[in-house]
Amino acid sequence: MNSQLLAQSAVQAPHIEYGQLAPMLIVFGLAIAGVLVEAFVPRRARSAVHAPLTLVGLAAAFVATVLQAGTHHVAAEGAVGVDGPTLFIQGTIIALAFVSSLLIAERRPDTSAFVSDAASVPGTQEERESLVAGDVQTEVYPLTMFAVGGMLLFPAANDLLTMFVALEVLSLPLYVLCGLARRRRLLSQEAAVKYFLLGAFSSAFFLYGIAMVYGFAGSIRLSEIALAVSHSGGNETLLLLGLALLGMGLLFKLGAVPFHSWKPDVYQGAPTPITALMGSCTVVAAFGALLRVLYVGFGGMQWDWRPFMWGIAILTMVIGAIVAITQADVKRMLAYSSIAHAGFVLTGVIASSSQGLSSTLFYLVAYGFTTVGAFAIVTLVRDAAGEANHLSRWAGLGRRSPLVAGIFAFFLLAFAGIPLTSGFTGKFAVFAAAVAGGATPLVIVGVLSSAVAAFFYVRVIVVMFFSDPNPDGPTVAAPSLLTGAAVAVGVAVTLVLGVLPQPALDLAANAAAGLFVR
Amino acid sequence: MHIVYPAVVAALLFSVGVYGVLARRNAILVLMSVELMLNAVNLNLVAFDVWLGDALRGGQVLTLFVIVIAAAEVGLGLAIVLLVFRNRQTVQIDALRDLADRDAEPAERPEQVSTEIS
Amino acid sequence: MNLYVPIAVLALIAFGFAMFSLVASTLAGPKRFNRAKSEAYECGIEPTPQPVGGGRFPVKYYLTAMLFIVFDIEIIFLYPWAVTFDALGIFGLVEMVLFIVAVLVAYLYVWRRGGLEWE
Repeated sequence: MNSQLLAQSAVQAPHIEYGQLAPMLIVFGLAIAGVLVEAFVPRRARSAVHAPLTLVGLAAAFVATVLQAGTHHVAAEGAVGVDGPTLFIQGTIIALAFVSSLLIAERRPDTSAFVSDAASVPGTQEERESLVAGDVQTEVYPLTMFAVGGMLLFPAANDLLTMFVALEVLSLPLYVLCGLARRRRLLSQEAAVKYFLLGAFSSAFFLYGIAMVYGFAGSIRLSEIALAVSHSGGNETLLLLGLALLGMGLLFKLGAVPFHSWKPDVYQGAPTPITALMGSCTVVAAFGALLRVLYVGFGGMQWDWRPFMWGIAILTMVIGAIVAITQADVKRMLAYSSIAHAGFVLTGVIASSSQGLSSTLFYLVAYGFTTVGAFAIVTLVRDAAGEANHLSRWAGLGRRSPLVAGIFAFFLLAFAGIPLTSGFTGKFAVFAAAVAGGATPLVIVGVLSSAVAAFFYVRVIVVMFFSDPNPDGPTVAAPSLLTGAAVAVGVAVTLVLGVLPQPALDLAANAAAGLFVR
Repeated sequence: MHIVYPAVVAALLFSVGVYGVLARRNAILVLMSVELMLNAVNLNLVAFDVWLGDALRGGQVLTLFVIVIAAAEVGLGLAIVLLVFRNRQTVQIDALRDLADRDAEPAERPEQVSTEIS
Repeated sequence: MNLYVPIAVLALIAFGFAMFSLVASTLAGPKRFNRAKSEAYECGIEPTPQPVGGGRFPVKYYLTAMLFIVFDIEIIFLYPWAVTFDALGIFGLVEMVLFIVAVLVAYLYVWRRGGLEWE
């Protein structure tokens, strides 16, 4: 009976290129090792084992990514595409995750940013006991590694099934991680609930889009979808509906308007190291997936999705810049600024050329490192109740700690796009690509919203340097090695990419030259 | 059976799920509505798979994966809702107002022990 | 359509019978009301008042249900392998062992952290 069943469909053992999948396998292996550490290592030693394991493992994954350079191949029987842009994005994600892990591993000056015992209610005896014992919920490390593994698979996914699985693998740990803050735990749990409900809602829409596209094309593989699109007239209901719903799901992860409502609340409520991880790595991964879907799957329908994306990009840039002006909380303001930056990168995506792709890749690197550095500084400004996130508490920081305030001012200028910072080079590259791609009105809107955004960045600088400090105001904690290293990396990358961008631009151009593998 | 029947049924189920997510105030019911949406998509995928006669059975495989992922997601979601319930004694999402765009400091949470289902 | 006619007829008969029994017993039965007849259970045990909303459930029920779901899902993935395992050969065996080991790691974590304790 067995051979009768098999005669209709000969099943063969698939051929898996393990070398090309190595970065993802290493990170997932790290996650499993992290769970084993959680299970077997005694409580006191857990952090001391997790932190070096994570950092060394991420370094190994980065080396594995670099060793793949030049590959242009569809691996794992068509499920994973390994090509220049994907390797660039994966390397960026691993580097940003490395710096975020430095922040996660930080245990000074207070204690860890993460809750001591997530299951205990604040004010009860068991919470007091766990605080006295100095516990930290160290499951953060394996959860982060699972999320990073999902982020590596998301832009590399060559069919929609792998993409959906990667989306969920990257999102589910992040939902939990958002709820694990030590201070202001109620806000953190609220952020987790909001992120979870909205994220589950949007991935259901993403899945419905996959079903529609599958019904149209007969396959979930992006190359075969592209084939079906080229054969069709391009105005089939299933196809258009599917593309719209897929776009909705992906734009939610980016935080593009009108799917941005989760971003300010989640960035504000989550523990700041996790905000740094989300703000840098998730955005990079989501852009990688959006690029792959739009360029490979629906490249033949550019005339259909471009006007749609124009509208989204304009709305995102304008609303991100304008609403950020009214924000009084540093993390919330950075969340709206990240919405605006997502809009700027979307103008590069719309260009849909090799130049657009390379400028997008460069901008993602520049923006990612600046973001991680900025959130690292946010973790340092503390008062008796933990981090002081309200902008009014940051007044006069320039007088108390000129170095930290100066570095934060440098990051803000990089966000604003002032020359000699990586933000300027990134914006210039993206806008140049957009103009070359025929989207000049978008660039005009982009420049105008950059000017508006510069207003609130400069306002923070003015508050820090030109107003009197509160007598009982926050102090800047002396950064330990880990946070100091994170800030130093952020400053170094922002400065180098601003002053000497050519090597990085060439690297991005080389990566983007071959476009995506089909 | 024409493909329209399962496709329309799936679309109707999906719409009921969307209504549930948007209109329900109890977090558990919102989770149930998300599950309904995911299952509507499953129905759609299986129907398309049979209609297309896919040799690779892509729709059915994807349905299997979606069932697994939906189970994991709802397990996680219940854990997060449990976390919130422990601290606030309510699962009404209306009560989660502290993170919102407003000028003043976050308002005091009204102490409500509310077990109503809506 | 005519395949479903017997089922529809059966459903009608069942519904009709149920309705008939209810209506007939209401109309034809004697009406005697006393305290014993209107109680929920006839066994004589007084029902204790339950708190509003069902009361607090111990969280260990949730943990048990979640663990069941996780391992049930693992079994779902084992079914396709069970059908084609000889065609997949050694590759299939190694990959499925790796998958089971990954879920085993989760089991070890739960075991060591006391998730399997009932009390």
